[in-house]
Amino acid sequence: MPSSLSNFRAICAAVALLFAFAHPAAAQLSFKPTAEAVHEDKLLNALKEGDKITGRISIPDKMASSLIQPAGRDWRDFHRGKLPIIGGVAILGMLALLAIFLMVRGRIRIHRGFSGKTILRFASFERFTHWLTASCFIILALSGLNVSFGRTLILPLFGAEAFATMSAWAKLAHNYLAFPFMLGLVIMFLTWIKDNIPGKLDLEWIKQGGGILFQGKHPPARRFNAGQKGIFWIVIIGGALMSVSGWFLIFPYLPGNVTVLQVWTVIHAVVAMLFIAAMLAHIYIGSIGMEGAFDAMGTGEVDLNWAKEHHSLWVEEEQAKADAPPDRTPRAVPAE
Amino acid sequence: MKVFVAALAFAVVAAVGVAMVLNTLQEPSSVAFSTSGARVGDPGHNLIGPG
Repeated sequence: MPSSLSNFRAICAAVALLFAFAHPAAAQLSFKPTAEAVHEDKLLNALKEGDKITGRISIPDKMASSLIQPAGRDWRDFHRGKLPIIGGVAILGMLALLAIFLMVRGRIRIHRGFSGKTILRFASFERFTHWLTASCFIILALSGLNVSFGRTLILPLFGAEAFATMSAWAKLAHNYLAFPFMLGLVIMFLTWIKDNIPGKLDLEWIKQGGGILFQGKHPPARRFNAGQKGIFWIVIIGGALMSVSGWFLIFPYLPGNVTVLQVWTVIHAVVAMLFIAAMLAHIYIGSIGMEGAFDAMGTGEVDLNWAKEHHSLWVEEEQAKADAPPDRTPRAVPAE
Repeated sequence: MKVFVAALAFAVVAAVGVAMVLNTLQEPSSVAFSTSGARVGDPGHNLIGPG
């Protein structure tokens, strides 16, 4: 009997010891947090698109409660990897195309030469609107390109101090010149929409290469030909996208959450690169690419032969309005 | 040339005007997005400060 009691006590002691080791307090002694903890990359990969790890905060900035947002890595990779490629291909590609076009086609001359008479193409207010929008666009484009390419291209040239100062001023200019740019867009839209509705005549203009691919051939066009209408709609639609997305970047709490904001920044950046490339073509054809074209926005008056070659129907309409014989409209005055 | 210069001048005036209006209407982020207990005395002149 004493032996049985002794055995029972030994069994109870063994069971008690097992319970003691099984107790959480005892288990903590042998737990290794760093080895057993969730690995960050596994955690991030486990999160699905749109998932976020958030905490609780008491400050008014509710968006600050996001601790980890895996989609942000994709956004960062896009800005560091894909966007510079898109921008580089679009802008350098367009410059290369224009250079090749200039070498092959040469400057587009006025086929019949300068007539010595001019006709009013754009009134002062129209030119004011154009230059208001254009000057803002140039600053916006340069300061925007600085965001994407400045660290790579400009920082090594000027050093960190100069680059930081320049970038800070460029950011201010970018933010605030956006407003007169948007105003210019609205005025341009209201002023020129009536002359930029696409029509059958534009298809014919496109079929004939706009008269710029083949020397001496000029398809008829009204005030704006299909190429100019294309530029108009690129400016209006591109400008609208830039304005809406830019508005959300200036006021980043409007979109509501950081994921939507990231989408708008991608739209802003991609449209900007394509917009700049398109405007390079516009600047080219309006200056060195075509003889007599710059006068339209320079003095507002273009040579009559230039107008007849590129906008023959518009010249007829203007002359009919003036009720005067061809080449002797009241608006036609000798060129200086 | 006059039209071009006028457009440039208007752009600058409009941009400065918008900056003044926005700076009047808006609070600095260091004030707008923190409670008084979390605010530092002088946030400095970096991106979150008043400068």
